Amino acid sequence: MSEQTNPIEDPVVEEAQDQSAPVEGGLSEDAHLHIDKYESMWLKIAFIIMGVFFLSVIVSSFAIGIQLPGAYARIDPTTVNDPGSPFAEPGLRELAPGKYEAYYRAQIWQFTPREIHVPLGAEVSFYVTSQDVMHGFKISDTNVNVMVIPGQVSTLKHTFDKPGEYKIICHEYCGQLHHTMYAQIFVDEPTEEVASGAQN
Amino acid sequence: MAFAVFQPIQVLPRVSLSPGFAFTDQNGERLTNEDLRGKFVFYNFTYTGCQEPSCPDPGPGMRAIQEKMVDIDTGDIPVEFVTISFDPEHDTPEKLKAYAERLGADTSDWHFVTGDPTRLKNVIGGGFSTYYNQKDDGTFTFDPTFVIVDGWGIIRTKYKTAHPDLDIVERDMGLLMQELNNSEGASRIAYEAAHLFLCYPD
Repeated sequence: MSEQTNPIEDPVVEEAQDQSAPVEGGLSEDAHLHIDKYESMWLKIAFIIMGVFFLSVIVSSFAIGIQLPGAYARIDPTTVNDPGSPFAEPGLRELAPGKYEAYYRAQIWQFTPREIHVPLGAEVSFYVTSQDVMHGFKISDTNVNVMVIPGQVSTLKHTFDKPGEYKIICHEYCGQLHHTMYAQIFVDEPTEEVASGAQN
Repeated sequence: MAFAVFQPIQVLPRVSLSPGFAFTDQNGERLTNEDLRGKFVFYNFTYTGCQEPSCPDPGPGMRAIQEKMVDIDTGDIPVEFVTISFDPEHDTPEKLKAYAERLGADTSDWHFVTGDPTRLKNVIGGGFSTYYNQKDDGTFTFDPTFVIVDGWGIIRTKYKTAHPDLDIVERDMGLLMQELNNSEGASRIAYEAAHLFLCYPD
């Protein structure tokens, strides 16, 4: 009974049979024995895992709306420092209470601005570009991790809900002093003064 | 993969939901985001005290778009224009009306609105992610920005300039119409795939 139903139910077994030497006289018991019970089990698990991953990609992009960080905008690297360019005087700007945008200019071998202070719970949109070579932009202990490519503005958003010091690290080799290239973000806890001031 | 590489269909990204608001227009009437559902809406942000050349007024750019949109076919979907002033202290309805006249605006579909300063900050800064700040001398520093919102209230594109390129406006409206006209059946799936694989114009 099982000899007849198994090959139809289990495509993996059937495929394996095709690849092995054809057995005279149709399906024989020997053909089955080539696929070990555990091997076929693990094959099935592998296919199920692939299916789950594929589904999760579909669900995350369509239902939850997660998308890969892409090229947000292009910029001519020679105009990065021109007046009027948002990267001429990079820094942190408050869009609305608790919502900020931070412009960063990367060059060998530093980020501008060197340090910024944001309040706890701030949602910061980072816009980063390079004026010379390729750099990296990774903020320690967060998911912020992008390549900084000359001619392109990379963007990511992060909400800082833990106070402390965060380091921005260049993690794309950019020359001799690459290892010294960093900047800092300080996430400040609201002091009593500020907290009471906000209520007034 | 083929979608990502060849981009057979291009779409405008769904940037984010546009914010809800209730402001007062140049006639003293209330305008809310709900009044603009089902319509294409162009937003820009300025104040009537903005004078060239020290201040990049996006008003003339909006007027140019309004003239251009007369020639662009959007089917039976109306197009509206909203200029939000972030200077409610000075920009009374009369001031806004005078500003509209100065631009030569067709006010049948162009609203000049303003409101409470805190709300303005949350709508323009928070919702539309457009920076503005009042300086000590009362003038404002801001990023001239144009935003296109579709009929579902989703921000579809932004032009961060005081003088948007009309050819790009025409192309983007074309892309929006193309997507709308193909929003059923199999073509719907193809357009969703274009969103998924980020087939956005440069």
